[in-house]
Amino acid sequence: MHEFEWGFLIVNYLFLGGLSAGLFFVSALASWLQQREDSDYSAIARAGALLAPWPVALGSLLLIFDLGNWWRFYKLFLHFRWQSPMSIGSWLLVVFTGIAFANCWAWVPADVKRTLLARVKLPEAWAGFPVNARILAAIGFPMSIGVAIYTGVLLGAVQARPFWNTNLVAQMFLFSALSSGCAALLIALSLRRQQLDSIQLRFLYTIDVCLISLEFFIVLPYLIHGELSVEAVRQSLALVLGGPYTVAFWVFFLGIGLLLPLAIEVWELAPAVFSGGSLHHNRRLTVLTAALVVFGGYMLRYIFVYAGQSSSFH
Amino acid sequence: MKNEGKRYALAIDSRKCINCKACVVACRAENHVPLGHSRNWINEEHRGSWPKLFASFEPEQCHHCANPSCVRVCPTGASYQRADGIVMINEDECIGCRYCIVACPYGARFFREDTGVVEKCTLCAHRVDRGEAPACVETCPSKARIFGDLFDENGPLQQVLSTREHRVSKPQTGNSPQIYYLF
Repeated sequence: MHEFEWGFLIVNYLFLGGLSAGLFFVSALASWLQQREDSDYSAIARAGALLAPWPVALGSLLLIFDLGNWWRFYKLFLHFRWQSPMSIGSWLLVVFTGIAFANCWAWVPADVKRTLLARVKLPEAWAGFPVNARILAAIGFPMSIGVAIYTGVLLGAVQARPFWNTNLVAQMFLFSALSSGCAALLIALSLRRQQLDSIQLRFLYTIDVCLISLEFFIVLPYLIHGELSVEAVRQSLALVLGGPYTVAFWVFFLGIGLLLPLAIEVWELAPAVFSGGSLHHNRRLTVLTAALVVFGGYMLRYIFVYAGQSSSFH
Repeated sequence: MKNEGKRYALAIDSRKCINCKACVVACRAENHVPLGHSRNWINEEHRGSWPKLFASFEPEQCHHCANPSCVRVCPTGASYQRADGIVMINEDECIGCRYCIVACPYGARFFREDTGVVEKCTLCAHRVDRGEAPACVETCPSKARIFGDLFDENGPLQQVLSTREHRVSKPQTGNSPQIYYLF
């Protein structure tokens, strides 16, 4: 038997799917918080909406090419099997990707829409669709949470793999996905010529600090309870507590992918929260921190996909 | 338990197994299993040093679980269970996602690179439907394998299971495996 049936394509897909879910999640939040069309939040909502559909679309392609018979992927949509997380997930992915693309189109400026439509010779009336981006955001919001959770459930539902078979994996993947999306927005908005203003930075940092903290508080009980669990679970945890994935887990995921960016973001936010001062506004540091968060999200998928498949009952 | 219908299963007397691997060869010939993969295999365990030695040989294959996790996770329904308990794969419906391989606690499934689908022991369903025993059972020279219908009170399987101590492998996964290992 091959030890790893699922490899890097699956790692990348789980990461990209989660990234899109996070982008949409933050964009939808910002879209509902914005007061006027030109408010501080609308830049976040727009950037999130424009970016959200692409990673998941790429990830879905990877998923299809990972199949033994990729041209049979349509069979996924001839069935709905509620007991199979993969079946539920494929339907969720399609619905979510559709909404994300519609939402993306809704945020494209009207004149750009008309130019694009004219170039591909499509009716100009399509520029008016969809009418209300906030409704799309509201429909897509639970879908984005669903996509982010399901990537964890896909692994967590496998009783044969003790490393995966806990409800904590789904939550860990959820918060990791959402924070990756939030961090990706920090990068995207920082790379623009126009500087991020304090309200935008504070919004993104606050969300990210909350999400990373939640993720950390799930990783902790995952380790503690695993150690207090049955023999098979303890043996599987040895993969990260003195096994082949120890460095990846402690240094690259937990260290520089989670706690270090959390510390930097808290340091950035602290003066604004506690003394009413302003943020540090260091563009390079923001990009670096956010890149670490995204990297941590990728490492989490890598460790779980590979370590999980190595774990088993003996 | 319903007394109608059939529930096929296997009992294995591993003390009779001599590790000759005739079952593996017979399966390969019967089911055209490609080289490099096997639908059945023999777990070997050796302990101690001469003259205090212990060796055990335990044949294994798909356990045709009563609650098979492979069937549950399959997104297309390609993995299914027949009414008589045999877990099968409809190769025309299999998309090759390999979720079932990851989900099987026994490592009973493998991915065929040439066809792009997953394959495993069928308990020789084609032979069973003709009233014959699976190839591995028929060929075993030391009669370590007992095939039969669990619902048949007077059948060979019930006779051995009602008189001999037995266990199943990894029951804690909740799959309710149906290969009975005799002590």
